[in-house]
Amino acid sequence: ALNSELFRELENGRIARLMMKLGTINERQEFEGDRAWSENGERYMLKLFRDYVFHQVDSNGNPVMDIGHMIRCLNKLDAGVDERICLTSRDEQTSFVVSYKELKKQLANAFNELIKTAKPG
Amino acid sequence: MDGDWDEVARVPFPPPGVHALPTQVTTMTFDTTQELLWAGNDYGRVTSFLSTELQQHTSFKAHQAADGPVRQILVNSKGVVVLGSKDVHMAHRRGPPIWHLRHDDMKDLRCMSFTSKGTAEIIAAGLQDSMFVIDLIKGEVVKQVRTERQYSIMKRGRYICAATRNGSVDLLDPVTFAVVKTWNAHSALINDMDAQHDFIVTCGYSLRQGQNYMLDPFLNVFDIRKMASMPPIPFPAGAAYVRMHPRMLTTSIVVSQSGQMHVVDLMNPNTSNVRQANVLSYLSMFEIAPSGEAMALTDAECLIHLWGSPSKLHFVDLPTPVEFATPEEPIPQVDWTPESPLNSVGLPYYRQILASSWPELTSDVGAPPVKFDPQFLASLKPTDFALYGRNMRGVRRNQFEDTRSVHKSANSGLKAPKFLSEKARDLAKSESSSDKADELSNS
Repeated sequence: ALNSELFRELENGRIARLMMKLGTINERQEFEGDRAWSENGERYMLKLFRDYVFHQVDSNGNPVMDIGHMIRCLNKLDAGVDERICLTSRDEQTSFVVSYKELKKQLANAFNELIKTAKPG
Repeated sequence: MDGDWDEVARVPFPPPGVHALPTQVTTMTFDTTQELLWAGNDYGRVTSFLSTELQQHTSFKAHQAADGPVRQILVNSKGVVVLGSKDVHMAHRRGPPIWHLRHDDMKDLRCMSFTSKGTAEIIAAGLQDSMFVIDLIKGEVVKQVRTERQYSIMKRGRYICAATRNGSVDLLDPVTFAVVKTWNAHSALINDMDAQHDFIVTCGYSLRQGQNYMLDPFLNVFDIRKMASMPPIPFPAGAAYVRMHPRMLTTSIVVSQSGQMHVVDLMNPNTSNVRQANVLSYLSMFEIAPSGEAMALTDAECLIHLWGSPSKLHFVDLPTPVEFATPEEPIPQVDWTPESPLNSVGLPYYRQILASSWPELTSDVGAPPVKFDPQFLASLKPTDFALYGRNMRGVRRNQFEDTRSVHKSANSGLKAPKFLSEKARDLAKSESSSDKADELSNS
C-alpha cells in the first residue's frame, strides 16, 4: 500500500522541476529587448508554448482548466517527442508548426544560458 | 496556357492586426518543393499559403515592422530566406527561425540571388555600395563585395542578371561577381525582369515628353548565347510584368497593369494566347509556379489571385508533403479529482535525458526569511490587501539576500549561544577589525 502510494507521487517531482525550469526562463525582465526573444527570435516559441499549455481557452474564449492537457504537454516536452504542435501568437498573426523536440532544445539552451551566469544559490 | 485556365482562388493578404486593413503583397514566390506560395508584406511579415485554395499555413515576422517591407523571398531545401532592407532572416517552412543576420553595411537591400554554389549561398545587393555573399548553411556573411552599381532586381540564369535603377541589366559572373556585360534594356527604369536558359526578358519604363514615366509597349529580350539583344516583342497594352515559362524554354508570359495576359513564344512572337485577369484595381506583381501549372497575381486591393487549370493545378511536380501539426491521438479519459495522482498521464517513450533533469547545483532550503528594516516598513502605506510603497531598501527587486550571515543575525537580535572558545575567537577577530565591524553594525 505504501509502495503504491509512493508510486502515485513519483512523477510529481519531475513535473515540478520542469515547471521550475520554465518559470525561471519565461518573462525575465533581462530578456526584454533581447532579439532572441523578440517575434523573429528563436526563443519566441517558448513564450508561445507557455500560453499553449497554461492559457488554453474554449471557442468562447473562456479559460479551459484541464490539468490533463497541462501534464500531457509537459510530459511530451520532458521527453522531447517528435510530435508537432501549432503555436499561435496572441495577435493570431504568427503561427509556427514546431515539434516538442525543438522546444526541448530551446528550453535547454535558455536554461543553460541562465546557469552560466548564475551564482550558486 | 491551356484553354481551361481560369482564376481558381482569390485571398486577401492578412492585415497586420485584428482591426487593421489588409496589406499589399510586397514580394511573393512559389515554393520549389512544397505546395506553398510565400508572400511578404510591408510590416516584415511572411505568410505561406497552401495549394489550390491558398489556405493560410504558417506566418512569421522576418524583421521588425519599422525596418520596412519584405523585399524578396528565396527557398531552398532547408527553408525560406527572407530579405529585408537591413537584414536577412532564414526560417523553417514551419515558421521557427534558423538564423538572423544584421550588418552595419546592410542599409537598403533590395534583391538577392543564389550564386554558383547551388542553393547553399546567396548574394544580396541593393541601393547601396556593397553586396553581401552569405553562406545559408552557417548563416554568416562570407564576403563583402564593393560595387559601384546599385541593383533593384536579381535573377539567376546562366549569369546573375542584375537590374540597375537606370534601366540597364548587368550580367554578373556567379563565381567572381564581376560584371561580364551591361545591357541597356530600357531608357528610364526596369519594372520587371526574368532570366532562364538562354534569355533575359525585361519590362520597363521610358520618360515620355521628358517628364512622364510610361510603360514601354514592348518586351525586351536579350540572347545570352549571342550576347546581343533581340528585336523587342510588341505588347501594346504596356508590358508591366514578365516571367519565362519554366517548362517551355522559349515561352514567356507578359502581363499588363490592367490584367491583360499574353503567352508569347520568343522565337515566334506573332502567335500569342491572350487572357484577362479580373482586377478592379491594377496588378502589382506576377509569379509563375515551378511546374508551369499555376500563376499568382497580386493587385492594389491586397488580393492574391491564383490562376491555373482547375483540374491540373499544382505548384511543383513532385511535391514533398507540407508539415502540419501532428493530429491529436484519442486521449484516455481521466476523471480529475483532488486525489488523482499526476502520473495518471503517462510519460511518452524516451531515450534522451529528460528536459526536467536538474543540473547539480547546491541549494539552500532552510535559510531564515528576510527581516525588513522597521524604517522601511514604516514608509509603506497599509491597505487591506498589502503594504505598499517605493522600494527604498537599497537592493534590487527580487535580489537574493544572504539571511544566514553572522552580521545579519546579529542585527536581528537573535543570537545563538556560543561556546567559550568561539567567544574568544570572535573577540580576537573583532579587535583586529573593530573599526570596520562598528561601521557595519551602525549602518
